[in-house]
Amino acid sequence: MIKYNSKREGTHYLNPYLGGVLMGLLMIVTIFISGRELGISGAVKDTVVETAHAISPAAAKAHPYYGMYIKDGQSPMHSWLVFEVLGVFIGALLSGIIYKRVRKPFVEHGPSISSKRRLVVALIGGILWGFGTRLGRGCTSGAALSGSSTFSFGGVMVMLLIFASAYLFAWLFRKLWT
Amino acid sequence: MKEELFVSGRNIPNIDPYLNIWHWQIPFYLFLGGLAAGIIFFAAYFVVSGKEKEMPATVKWAPIIASIVLVIGLIALFSDLKHKLYFWQLYTIIRPTSPMSWGAWTLMAITPLSIVWVASYMKEMFPKWDWKFGFLNHFEAFVIKYRIPFSWIMMYLAIILGVYTGILLSAFNARPLWNTSILGPLFLVSGFSTGLAATMWISNNEHERKVLSRIDIVFILIELFLIIHLFMGFMAGTAVKTEAFQLFLGGEFTISFWVFVVLLGLVFPATLETLELWGYHVPKWIPPLLILFGGLIFRFVMVEAGQITRFLY
Repeated sequence: MIKYNSKREGTHYLNPYLGGVLMGLLMIVTIFISGRELGISGAVKDTVVETAHAISPAAAKAHPYYGMYIKDGQSPMHSWLVFEVLGVFIGALLSGIIYKRVRKPFVEHGPSISSKRRLVVALIGGILWGFGTRLGRGCTSGAALSGSSTFSFGGVMVMLLIFASAYLFAWLFRKLWT
Repeated sequence: MKEELFVSGRNIPNIDPYLNIWHWQIPFYLFLGGLAAGIIFFAAYFVVSGKEKEMPATVKWAPIIASIVLVIGLIALFSDLKHKLYFWQLYTIIRPTSPMSWGAWTLMAITPLSIVWVASYMKEMFPKWDWKFGFLNHFEAFVIKYRIPFSWIMMYLAIILGVYTGILLSAFNARPLWNTSILGPLFLVSGFSTGLAATMWISNNEHERKVLSRIDIVFILIELFLIIHLFMGFMAGTAVKTEAFQLFLGGEFTISFWVFVVLLGLVFPATLETLELWGYHVPKWIPPLLILFGGLIFRFVMVEAGQITRFLY
């Protein structure tokens, strides 16, 4: 197991401020190419709906939430978000390879906790995040980035609260990383 | 009451206007057949070219996969047969004009021979291996003595097997998408590429993987070239052909073909392999996995799409 290494020798990261500007410009490109804003959590939702539909079509159709996304003759996976996420994987892998960040699978964790604990905490965090994205109708990409770029009040609120609460919870859970 | 009786060749359930007789077994078998052909061809090629020692995974270990997938493929083919107990009748005749006959006989030869191939390397792979019976030891010595001619035979058989997986489809002259002679070389090249991918995946030898990777990039480029030619042929063809091609240009199979076969199954893995040759670290399982996945989807798409293409009337 590779220990957490704060220096990350030999790897290259972009300047975060420049990265932020590029992400903003990405919105322009996305809207130009696809005519709508990007998102990530929607693809996860589509996958979940499709899985439910494949296992039990009748139950998924009758379900008040899943049912909204099931249309006859068209799979929920036939959504551009799913393909966008596929593209994100390709791009991320290429970037990781070119900037030498790709290595064998390992668990990155703080020095004072075990890998197991890190995985449990990550699982809980993931569940909360997934739940939150459905409440907020999007994640940092779909709600915060895309929403605020259209001056949607909900989007701006999501953006501010994600960062405000992260600021607070980072302090509360600092033991996990230091 | 005056009754009229219509006799028409246009309404034969599951045959006309749409073919609906080949399900998952056939594309799955075509994939496994191509995969085995690829593995066997390169195993034999490196023996003939005297590079046996440099390419241990290609020559010794990968053929184990070839034998196993050939047997699984034959089980899939057999399970597709309607009259299973009559399969032996394929072996009562040799008909050079029938791809089915070519395939049946080639499989009859290459499947046991691939097992013999693996058996002849058992002692090298597992030093403590013992055949127990004297006659098996004699047979092994005989195979090892004539390994070069044996490899030549295997190369020929592998090419026939690889081409036959495509010709089997192109011999259907009633299905415009299949009825093109490019399918033979296309399936051959694609099968060889999947065989190389599987071998690369199991190889631990850096040098061996580089050699295979270089060959694989060439094969992927040839495959892309053949795909372009396939479609150029359709575009320049009759209305029937252009109609068939529409399935891949906005039709039902557009995404599965262009995204999963061409982009994720050919272009992207070829890019990763190129980056690897340039010295970047690429997780070794990713390009082979993508190539194998692309090859599998390609056969499913071709078999599914081909069955619904038809001549206009």
